[in-house]
Amino acid sequence: MRQDRIDFVHNSERALADPTLHSSVRRAMVRFRELQRPVIGEIEEWQALREYAHRVKLHTLSHLDQYLEQLERQIVAAGGQVHWVRDGAQAGRVIADLARSRDDRTVVKSKSMTSEEIELNQVLEAAGCEVVETDLGEYLLQLAGDRPAHIIAPAVHKSKDAIAKLLAEKLGVPVYDDAERLTRVARDALRRKFLAAGVGITGVNFAVAETGTIVVVENEGNARLTTSLPRVHIALMGIEKVIPRLADLGVFLTLLPRAATGQRMSSYVSLLTGPRRAGERDGPEEFHLVIMDNGRTAIQADPVMRESLACIRCGACLDVCPVFERTVGHAYGSVYSGPIGAVITPLYQGLDVAGELPFASSLCGACGEICPVKIDLPRLLLELRARVVQAGGASWAERLFVRGWVATMARSGRLRLVAPIVRLLHRAVARTGIPLPYPFSRWTQFRELPPPARSSFRERWPFAAVGRRR
Amino acid sequence: MNAREEILTRLRATRDPSASLPDLRPPATVPGDLIALFVERATAVGIQVMKDTAHTWVASAVSELRKRSIRAAALWDDPLLSPLAAALESSGIEVISPARHTSDRLAEVAAGITTADAAIALTGTLLLPCDDRRPRSTSLLPPLHLAVLPADRIVATLGHLFQVLHTPLPSALTFITGPSRTADIELTPVMGAHGPTEVIAYVLMD
Amino acid sequence: MRVALFVTCLVDQLFPAVGEATVSVLRRLGVDVQFPEGQTCCGQVAFNDGFWPEAARLAQKFIEDFDDSDAVVAPSGSCVAMVREFYPVLLRDESALADRVRALGRRTYELSEFLVDVLHREDVGAHFPHCVAYHASCHGLRGLHVTTQPLRLLAAVRGLELRPLPGVEECCGFGGMFSVKFAALSGSMLDAKIGAIESTGTEVVTATDSSCLMHIAGGLSRRNSPVRAMHLAEILAAQ
Repeated sequence: MRQDRIDFVHNSERALADPTLHSSVRRAMVRFRELQRPVIGEIEEWQALREYAHRVKLHTLSHLDQYLEQLERQIVAAGGQVHWVRDGAQAGRVIADLARSRDDRTVVKSKSMTSEEIELNQVLEAAGCEVVETDLGEYLLQLAGDRPAHIIAPAVHKSKDAIAKLLAEKLGVPVYDDAERLTRVARDALRRKFLAAGVGITGVNFAVAETGTIVVVENEGNARLTTSLPRVHIALMGIEKVIPRLADLGVFLTLLPRAATGQRMSSYVSLLTGPRRAGERDGPEEFHLVIMDNGRTAIQADPVMRESLACIRCGACLDVCPVFERTVGHAYGSVYSGPIGAVITPLYQGLDVAGELPFASSLCGACGEICPVKIDLPRLLLELRARVVQAGGASWAERLFVRGWVATMARSGRLRLVAPIVRLLHRAVARTGIPLPYPFSRWTQFRELPPPARSSFRERWPFAAVGRRR
Repeated sequence: MNAREEILTRLRATRDPSASLPDLRPPATVPGDLIALFVERATAVGIQVMKDTAHTWVASAVSELRKRSIRAAALWDDPLLSPLAAALESSGIEVISPARHTSDRLAEVAAGITTADAAIALTGTLLLPCDDRRPRSTSLLPPLHLAVLPADRIVATLGHLFQVLHTPLPSALTFITGPSRTADIELTPVMGAHGPTEVIAYVLMD
Repeated sequence: MRVALFVTCLVDQLFPAVGEATVSVLRRLGVDVQFPEGQTCCGQVAFNDGFWPEAARLAQKFIEDFDDSDAVVAPSGSCVAMVREFYPVLLRDESALADRVRALGRRTYELSEFLVDVLHREDVGAHFPHCVAYHASCHGLRGLHVTTQPLRLLAAVRGLELRPLPGVEECCGFGGMFSVKFAALSGSMLDAKIGAIESTGTEVVTATDSSCLMHIAGGLSRRNSPVRAMHLAEILAAQ
């Protein structure tokens, strides 16, 4: 499925053209950061936990076959089933077959980025299932025919008024104006679906190899309903979600909610080990874990990029990114947006399609600083830039500029020769106000040029008069 | 080669023994009164915490249900709850036993009453196990969840909890930290999404 | 104590007064300042844009120009971050050179970290009776962990009134080529930064990096704002 090149310059400019979108998103982001700061600050060992989590993930990613096999053994011992799939298409087929085998074809889903990645809903619908997204934000987007804009807060780009009108239109209810009433409308509508559904599909936050346990973290309760009521529970995960030991959750569940939503703990964390046991009244009769590759083994095999698979999908990097804040929506051309999206989308879709994304960053480093598993996102962005240039992806203008720059700077003698000429041109431009050609025009579109200097520092050196001690 | 073999073969080829597994970290110490901390943190996430004794909590619980005009409550089959079952019956509140905790029935009932196997002070979290006598939906479908927790089951942190957790694990182990909530509409927090809207925790002090 | 000044290409060519101020402050504190005249540029502009082999040439030149210095001081967090953090990445395939560059990185300092952490001075004898807001340049902040040093230096300047800047740790939007390639994003981030600056009522905005200040000054100028952008060194040199 070849994709068109993601033109982030164009997409970002289009996003910026909607100032109300930016201001409402900025409000949300500022609020996230305000919640995050104290709950992270109160954990004295936060930096040590990040380092620990990073090392656990790197170790696991470097021994992934071993841990996946252990996970499989444990799940089977607990009465569950494990399916391995190489790509999204195969995952869709396997899951559709499982769903289709039930008489009741209503499928309830709780939030799963991985399922968005493979466009699972479309596959299930084509197989004759009714698929209902049950996370409130995802449900609203489904009603609107829209796609999620943020890993954690998928409908962050929708205003309350837009939501009220949407629910009124689709569910035939009055237009309410408060969030509580709107939530209750959605809850009642979805309750009926939960009670009727034959199949529940979730993602996986963590899969513990030691015990064959999958972990689902949420606030709303819809994942618990999805894994308690339907007779079949299908959990879909990428190969990278496994962690070695149950006790490692002590660290990961300390990091995840604080980084993701500024909570000490999410409302619900479900540790699920196989289907229901004999005599239980609820819980699934069948538990299926679908383990998916879909490009991950290639990233795992890349020693530099491997750490990007440590991502626990908390969304914190999105929340601190000034670029994401201004382009939230679908500017990244991928289900994965923000800094992590700018790293993995080129890896999944290729540099020719997504090679612009790693450049769409001022490298402020806020993402790398917040990442709870210490993925060095700024460094990975830089590595990808080098790969894009090596593959011939730089424009002729850039090549000319950079090579010219480096050639001039390679010898101070050359710099002494070239600099006065450039200064002359600079003075001419400053005096006459000639509009500059591209790319310099992109500077002056938003700000003034710096004024030319009278002479350079090196021309003035040595200056004995300066700094005489009093 | 099937997908499983393909994936495992690729992964076996790129093992890196230099990336070692760190030893488990000892949990951070939390100074002070754990019960007081639990009360503070649970309250902060919207759990209504009632400190009571083994003698007084039953009457208080009955009164909470009556206040809300609740006529039927689903109860776990747990020895801790037997005095409550008796008291509810004599108050004319129907007690629904686990055998009847079907999703349809629970969806109609206004209260689900459970115990908690443990609690975490630092985060205000309740730990609920699950088996044939203690279904998972009891604390999920009814709009009010009432949990009974002996105070000596409170541990300091998540790390401490994992030290005392028994394996093999039940089919579902649920960590509950407050009522259900959402912030998906303009990031406005709303209590009561798909799960319970209210959680009451009785902390038994003796 | 003797240091080699790494003036940086931007300061050398566009903001020489910042270089002069840096020398002035160091000399005032009894430091002997050398200027290895063969120096040019750390190569960050090429590195950040993905031109790593080209950037490596300039990294090698930097090592040649500064390797025999006991300490290198630069009025720029981003250039020092380039040397300390990224030269080892750039030269990772050349192990002998990589060791030298790591050692050189450990003795290359941004000005405020040199003054506070090496010379252990906060009061440098400066007098600047104006309102000043401090913007925390990203590379210094997150790359070098230069957090409190500039603030402590500013607090010791006689007559200076420090105005806290809302969103102090938010990026100004320069980012080198980003400012031109993604000009609209850069401009929007600049708007936010200038809005924050103007909300403080300050007379002067300062930072440890001329790159940020050039960008911010360009925006202030476009808005005909009376706020002046000055490098930290210039404030510390004022008497």
